[in-house]
Amino acid sequence: MKGEPSITVNNFTAVQLMELDACVRCGECVEWCPTYDAAGKPAGLAPRDKILRWSKYMNKSYGLRARLFGPKAIPEEEIEEFKNDVYGCTTCAMCATVCEMAINTVELWESMRSNLVKRGNGPYGKQGMFVKLIGEYKNPYMEDPKNRLNWIPDDVKIADKADIVYFGGCTAELKQTKLAFATARVLNKLGIEFAMLGEDEVCCCSALVRTGQYEIEDIARKAARQNVDGMVAKGAKTVVYACAGCFRASLVDWPRLLGEELPFKVMHITEFLEGLIKEGKLQWEKPFDNLTVTYHDPCHLGRHVGVFEPPRSVINAIPGLNLKEMDRIKAHQRCCGAGGGVKAGLPDLALKIAETRVQDALAKSPDILSSACPFCKRNLSDGRDSVGAKELVVEDIIVLTAEALGIRLDDCVEG
Amino acid sequence: MSMEYYSGLSADVTNSFGMLTESMRITFAAVMIMATIAIAIFMIGMYINLKKWSLGSEGYGLAPSNGSIFTFPKTLAYQMSAKGHGHGQGIIATLIDAAFQRRALRRSPGRWLMHLAIFGGWIALCIMSIGMFVVELIYLAGVHVLDPAVFREMLSLPNDIFSYILLVGIIIAIYRRLFVARARNSTIAFDSGLLIGLTIIVVTGFIADGIRNGTFWGLGMHSELAPPASLFHVVISLLFCIAYIPFSKYMHMIVGPLTLMANKGGE
Repeated sequence: MKGEPSITVNNFTAVQLMELDACVRCGECVEWCPTYDAAGKPAGLAPRDKILRWSKYMNKSYGLRARLFGPKAIPEEEIEEFKNDVYGCTTCAMCATVCEMAINTVELWESMRSNLVKRGNGPYGKQGMFVKLIGEYKNPYMEDPKNRLNWIPDDVKIADKADIVYFGGCTAELKQTKLAFATARVLNKLGIEFAMLGEDEVCCCSALVRTGQYEIEDIARKAARQNVDGMVAKGAKTVVYACAGCFRASLVDWPRLLGEELPFKVMHITEFLEGLIKEGKLQWEKPFDNLTVTYHDPCHLGRHVGVFEPPRSVINAIPGLNLKEMDRIKAHQRCCGAGGGVKAGLPDLALKIAETRVQDALAKSPDILSSACPFCKRNLSDGRDSVGAKELVVEDIIVLTAEALGIRLDDCVEG
Repeated sequence: MSMEYYSGLSADVTNSFGMLTESMRITFAAVMIMATIAIAIFMIGMYINLKKWSLGSEGYGLAPSNGSIFTFPKTLAYQMSAKGHGHGQGIIATLIDAAFQRRALRRSPGRWLMHLAIFGGWIALCIMSIGMFVVELIYLAGVHVLDPAVFREMLSLPNDIFSYILLVGIIIAIYRRLFVARARNSTIAFDSGLLIGLTIIVVTGFIADGIRNGTFWGLGMHSELAPPASLFHVVISLLFCIAYIPFSKYMHMIVGPLTLMANKGGE
C-alpha cells in the first residue's frame, strides 16, 4: 500500500511549483542574502538551498518514483529544520532581484510558510502570538482599539469624511506616534483635508501574511474587508500610508485576500508629497543646517513595489539636507533585518542585520539615517545603539519633512 | 529501405577491427527509433512534471487544484495577464531576456558568456541536427529537392563553429566547477550531471566527426570506427538532450523562460 506524502501542496500555485524546478543554482541569491550573511553563512539559510530542499520534498512526494512506488517519507526532524530555515528570512526580496531565472522567491517563502503553518510546523517562536493579538485586539501590541486615538493632539484636524484617508497603521498610532503626529500635521499644514478610520482601523495583517498565518481564522481577509469598507465609508478616493508595511499589504495583499481591486488609489506618503512638491505647494520654513542624510530603502516600499524615487525627491527638496547615498541602494539595498517576522521571531538575527546596515550608512558619515518605514526605523535605531553610533540620528522622512516645514513635534510622547 | 544517416561512410567499407560495423551502421530507421524512444521518455517526463505542477492552485490563496494538467497552463496564462505592482515588463523584453539572458549578464558577465556559449551552441547544433534529419526525411520520401550530402556539406562550417562555441562554454563551466571556490563548494550531482552529459556529447561529437573525416587532429584513427562512434554520439545526444531533460537540471531550458514570462521579467 502506498503511503501518504509527507508534505502537501497547500498554498502553492501551479506556477510556483514550476518555479521550484527553474533554479539553476547559480548562487547569486546566496551572495546577496542578508540573513545568510548575518547568521554566519549556515547552508540552510541560503535561498538556493531552500528551493532545492522543497523541490526534493516535492519529488519525494509527487515525482516519478513516488508515482511508481509511493511517496518517500521525509523525516519530521528534517521538516522542522527546514521550517526554522524558511523562517530565518526577512522576505526582503533581494534574492528575487538577483535571481537569474526571475523566480518570485518572496512568494515562494511565504507559500512555504503558509504550508508549514497548516502542517503544524510554523510559525516560528513569538510569531505565533500575531494571530491571537491581531484577532483579539485588532493590533499586534495588545492595545485597546480606542487607544488608536490617543496620539491625536488637539490641533490636528481630522475630517469625518474626505477624499484623502490616512491609514495610520498600528505602529505609528500605538508606538511610534511621532510618525503619526508628523504625517497628520504635515497634511494639515498643507491644507489637505483627510479622514482616518480611528478605532475602527484594524491591523493591515502584513505580519500574518509574511509569516504564513493569513488564513488562520480568516483574520487577515476580515481585517482587509473591514479596513477597505471603512475607507469607502469615509469617502476615500486616495489612501495614504506612512508605513511601508501597511502600504505593501494594501497594495498587494489586500486585493488578493479580497479577490478584488481596491476602490481607491493607494499611495505612500512620499509619493503623495512628491506630487505636491512638483506643484510647488510646500513652503519650507525651517531649513536644516547643512546636514548629510543617507536614505535606506524599505524593502516593502522599494523592491516589493518599486517606489524608489519619491523618497529621494522629498529629501532632495528639503533645504539644508544633502543626500549621500550608501553603496547598496534601491533594488540592491541591504535589508534592515526587521521584516518577515524576523524581528519578532529571531530578534538577535534582526539586530545583526541592522548592525550591518548601520555600518553601510556610517561608511558615508551621515548626520541622519533616514527611511520611510517605522519598522526600519526601529530596527536601524537598535542597530545604531548596538554599534554605539550615538551621534547618528535615525529618522523617518515624514518627520524630517515636518521639521523643515516648521512643524513642532516636541509635544509628542511616544508609547 | 536503409539509408546512411550522415555517417559519411560508403557501404563497402570493411571492418579490419572485427567490430560489428555493418550492424552498427547508423540508418535512418535506427535514428527514427531512437529519436522516438527519446521523445517518448521526454513526453512521459514532462507529463509527470506537468501533473506535479498542476497539483498547485490556480491562484493565490485558492485550494489546490484537482490535478488536471490544464491547471498549470491556466495559472500561467492568468499570472502573465495579471496586474503587476511596480515591477513587470512587456512580453517582447521578456522574450529578449530569455533568449539573451540579460538577467545573468547583469549579475556576472563571465557566467553569462559561459551560459550563452553553451545555450547558443547547444540550440544551434540541435536545430541543425533537426534540419539534417528533415532533409533526409524529405529525400527518403522521394522529393529530391535537396541532396542530404550537399546539405551536410552546407552545414559543415556552422556545425564546426557552434561546436567550438559549445566547447568553449563547457570548458569555462568545468573550469568554474573545479577552480572557482564558490562554484566548486556548492556543486552537487544535480549540477555535475548536466555538465558531464554535455561534455560527453561534445567530445563524442568531435571524435565521431574527426574519424569520419579522417581529420581527427592527425591521430590517424581508422575510419571504420566512424559508424559506432557516430552511433554512440547520436544515442548519447538523444538521451541527454531530449530524454533526460524532464528529469534533470536541463529542465531549466524549459521552465526558465516560463518563469520569466510568469513574473514579467522578474523584479
